[in-house]
Amino acid sequence: MEVMILMKDQVAKLYDELSGEYNFFAPVKEKGYVAYRKISNPKEIELNYFNSKIPPKEILFPQMEVLFEFKTDGKNVIEIEDRKDLDEKNILFGIRPCDAHSFDLLEKFFAFGDFQDEIFLKKRENSLIIGIGCNSPKSTCFCTSVEGHPFQKDDMDIFLVDLGDKYLVEGISDKGNNLIQQLSWLSKASKADTIKAKELAKKAEDLITTKLDLTNTSQILESNFGNEIWKEVSENCLGCGSCTFLCPTCTCFDVIDENDQYENRGRRIRIWDTCQFCLYTLHTSGHNPRDNNIERCRNRILHKFSYYPLNYDLIGCVGCGRCIQVCPVNNDLRTIINKINNIKPKEEENVSV
Amino acid sequence: MGDIESENQNIENKIKELARNLLREKEVDVIIGYKKGTVPLSSSPVFITREEDVDKLLWNNLCYVNLANYLAPRIPTLYDEEGQKLKVGIVAKGCVGRALIHLAVENQINLENIKMIGISCNGIINRKRIEKEIGEKEILETSILGNNIIVKGRDFEKTFPFDEYMNELCKVCKVKSPPNVVDSCVGECLENPVIEDDFNDISDFESKTSEEKWAYIKDTLSACTRCYACREVCPMCYCNLCFVDQNKPIWFGKTTDFTDIFAFHFNRAMHLAGRCVACGACSSVCPMGIDLNIITRKLEKIVKERYNFTSGMDKETLPPMMSFSMDDNQEFMLEED
Repeated sequence: MEVMILMKDQVAKLYDELSGEYNFFAPVKEKGYVAYRKISNPKEIELNYFNSKIPPKEILFPQMEVLFEFKTDGKNVIEIEDRKDLDEKNILFGIRPCDAHSFDLLEKFFAFGDFQDEIFLKKRENSLIIGIGCNSPKSTCFCTSVEGHPFQKDDMDIFLVDLGDKYLVEGISDKGNNLIQQLSWLSKASKADTIKAKELAKKAEDLITTKLDLTNTSQILESNFGNEIWKEVSENCLGCGSCTFLCPTCTCFDVIDENDQYENRGRRIRIWDTCQFCLYTLHTSGHNPRDNNIERCRNRILHKFSYYPLNYDLIGCVGCGRCIQVCPVNNDLRTIINKINNIKPKEEENVSV
Repeated sequence: MGDIESENQNIENKIKELARNLLREKEVDVIIGYKKGTVPLSSSPVFITREEDVDKLLWNNLCYVNLANYLAPRIPTLYDEEGQKLKVGIVAKGCVGRALIHLAVENQINLENIKMIGISCNGIINRKRIEKEIGEKEILETSILGNNIIVKGRDFEKTFPFDEYMNELCKVCKVKSPPNVVDSCVGECLENPVIEDDFNDISDFESKTSEEKWAYIKDTLSACTRCYACREVCPMCYCNLCFVDQNKPIWFGKTTDFTDIFAFHFNRAMHLAGRCVACGACSSVCPMGIDLNIITRKLEKIVKERYNFTSGMDKETLPPMMSFSMDDNQEFMLEED
């Protein structure tokens, strides 16, 4: 497949051409941060950004999502109305490589074993990701430590490289290549363009200063459930949900039925939940296996760096650094990982609790 | 005393000296203070138990968490192996001192087990405002130079005057040091600070029409993701089960529909009437940059005007929501025909 060029002032044209067929999601600036929103005017698109505050997982797995609606006769459910929008096609424009990779991790979770989450999986199938490489990763970024790269394109359908006033356009999947063919007005990239893209990739990689060694982390975690470091790691944690809500790979949710008794109707919704909250895993009996900060902090780390590797043979973190930036008490994930890596082998035998 | 930069250095040195003495004399088992954050515009609460770690302690204008929160009963960190409650030393700016006093008034803590290292606070930086103004550039380093905040990135450097870029609540703060702590207090500490307040800072908001106020509230709160960082960082939000977590049955909607967001924030505000100590930690930590200071100040003003009460000033005066008096202003009651 040939590599093409999209001029930045042609992004509006791209939108105009595709917005009829697709819901067009793109980065927009709102209230001082960037978020991915379904846009109705290409002028809203923000092209100058590091990454979004809220990860784009919210496009396919929104914080609050109606699963179905129902009508009752006052007592019993008499009619269930399923979602009708799942066949709509989506363009996810401007996704960063770390977040593109997060979609694969989300998919692993929503298609685990016998449980196929139709709502998520259908939306995922109907979405086409146009990603953009990161020319200038942040100091908190560490994708290269979690099998990623600021120019990783495997998880996208179309990959763009920001060359200043234009984008280099590369089709990755069949879906992406077909779309590029449809956009006959794209010009061809010159050799100089592809060389520049390669240089930018190298430069971006060099800018990533955070290096975490995760070679043995999952193994260490397996045998240190009862280690003293969890007390240390959770010492100043407040138990809020900012790290998990703004994490592109966190998938926990709660399911709630909302009833409107006067109108004889209701809806079943799912909302984001987090292992940091007191209601998480609270049993009906009143017992909670994770009833304090120590257990909750440990769960977040184990989920990403032990359970994901065990269940899917993948690290459950994409290295975006959002949790590092937002933690109210600066409980830095990088420090936590280094502490885990420094557990002495002798202590590893201590498998109590 | 000179500029903010030298004040900070002086405060930090004295904190270290007092903390070292408290640990050496075994007057306390642990010191709760702040240490340097790993990212710009941050700091991190730290628990120091050994004299040799005292040098980790820090004071600057980014010490935004109200450390009294760690003494509120729901956080179980402060017990030794036998389950005994530890004797605690705590770095206490004015609002931390106020929170501790108010928690004692509500019978949540015993001040006798707590040794305050008081400091006369010189204000906290409005980190969210600076983040917003810098926008899509990465801040790599911040420092205080003289009376200015210097923010540096890869290809920029910007200066913000400290006076203007303080938290709005710090700009009008009257209680810079913990009330009634004078003997172990750093800087100009007053035993009973005068708390006359004209609340001029919210007159712009108050002069708005109802529609404008509603629009402001809606615009401010709608970014909320309900991560509850505001609640968790609040020393007064110590309930074992918050009203919003009640689920047998559910009391409040849990969605991010604006109605539910609004219900959470306003019910939380109601619960803070006459209790909030105006530390501003809620706004400092909000990941979405929501600034709750207007709500906080309005609440403070209502309580001051109706009941002439300011929270956390002394252990003797009962707060209006914990007491009843025949003289209570209750013009809102409906009269019988």
